[in-house]
Amino acid sequence: MKEVKIKIKNLSLYFNYIQALNDVSIDIYSKKVTAVIGPSGCGKTSFLRSINRMNELISGFRYTGEIKIDGINIYDREIDVVNLRKLVGMVFQKSNLFPKSIWDNLIFAPKLHGVKEDNKLKDIIEETCRKAAIWDEIKDRLNENALNLSAGQQQRLCIARALTVKPDILLMDEPASALDPTSTAKIEELIYELKKNYSIILVTHNMQQAARISDYTAFFYLGHLIEYEKTTKMFTNPTNQQTEDYITGRFG
Amino acid sequence: MDRIFDFHIEKLKTRLIKMCSLVDEQVDFAIKSIEEQNRELADLVISRDKIVDKYDIKIERICQKLFALNQPVAMDLRLVMSALKINSNLERIGDLAKNIAHQSKDFEFLPNYFNRLHYSEITFIVRDMIKKAIDAFITNDSELVRVVIKSDDKLDELVKEDSKYLIELMHESKNNINSAIIFYQVFQELERLGDHATNIAEEVFFIVKAQLIKHRNDLADQES
Repeated sequence: MKEVKIKIKNLSLYFNYIQALNDVSIDIYSKKVTAVIGPSGCGKTSFLRSINRMNELISGFRYTGEIKIDGINIYDREIDVVNLRKLVGMVFQKSNLFPKSIWDNLIFAPKLHGVKEDNKLKDIIEETCRKAAIWDEIKDRLNENALNLSAGQQQRLCIARALTVKPDILLMDEPASALDPTSTAKIEELIYELKKNYSIILVTHNMQQAARISDYTAFFYLGHLIEYEKTTKMFTNPTNQQTEDYITGRFG
Repeated sequence: MDRIFDFHIEKLKTRLIKMCSLVDEQVDFAIKSIEEQNRELADLVISRDKIVDKYDIKIERICQKLFALNQPVAMDLRLVMSALKINSNLERIGDLAKNIAHQSKDFEFLPNYFNRLHYSEITFIVRDMIKKAIDAFITNDSELVRVVIKSDDKLDELVKEDSKYLIELMHESKNNINSAIIFYQVFQELERLGDHATNIAEEVFFIVKAQLIKHRNDLADQES
């Protein structure tokens, strides 16, 4: 069943005098993987970052339109951004672990949100690391520096860390672009598993990746949402000529 | 590590195997409908051809999706490519079975020369070829492929012999013409069934060994 998780209406984003997104309306479905594709500078990342209000960290940011998660406008004044980001986790292109132990990395967010007891923390960590399919690799190395892990493991640890505060939504910005094919495959399997419990939005330059793991695909070009379709439809018979040109590599 | 792709491949294989079983039975029933002059069986074959067609469309869609979304390579690529072709061969086998079922209804009773034809021998080979081609696909057995391809020669020989005999019958008496023409067509169709079984076997060889043995030109090389 399709249930709308994020409802975005007429969203336009501006950074000073540059308009990054132009009147985008889109429904993101619950417990599905939505891939966002498009050439560099098309507004994919700005779009993603507007869903957990990270664009506000950039000076000169303005927006019009609205974003509702479960019917609640996230740009409402009463919304606590820390709680919003608890609900909407994010994973970046390069893993951004703290130069601390694996344990410290993982307990950082739950502690911030008030979990104090070691037992509880351990349970949370084991549960999330199992979900992120990395528990077996790190369970005996929790006190080691997180940066000693391989790049693929670091990235999966970042995903585990994002899950420790029990988000509903995961935003992923090119989570596998810096990884080798094996680690990429692991991340893709993981995303496929995670969608049972989370709504995932995945920005990717890799169209094949979008095809392989997403349920829906949104194609952005020059700040416009050109086409938004089921992935199967998008990659077998896209409606828009620009989409066809982009996914077949005939662009520009 | 399980791949998401494997899940889809399994789904494709399951559908193909189900289609194989259905088509196999369609051929059996069509052949019996002539032997036993069983009109009910013939009607069953004719009506069930729609189900075969549905499988055909479904499998083609799955293959299209697999190509578009997963960019298969190596063994996976060969499997999806061959699945497409095996699918069309199965669909054609289904059509031929339907045709034979239609033709079985064209006579009131079997002509007296029926026992002098190699009908049971030919149909035995055809059924065996189809069964073995399907088994080769299910079990990835390239040895069975050789068996199927060899049987095709024997089949062609017998069909040729009987076709010649049927033409002679037509020359002998005008009364034979109607029934002999039908049998002539049925034999051509049986021969085509053998060709489709051979095609499927060749596709299996391609999946397993990554070698094209179509049109017979390479099989001798394979063996040498």
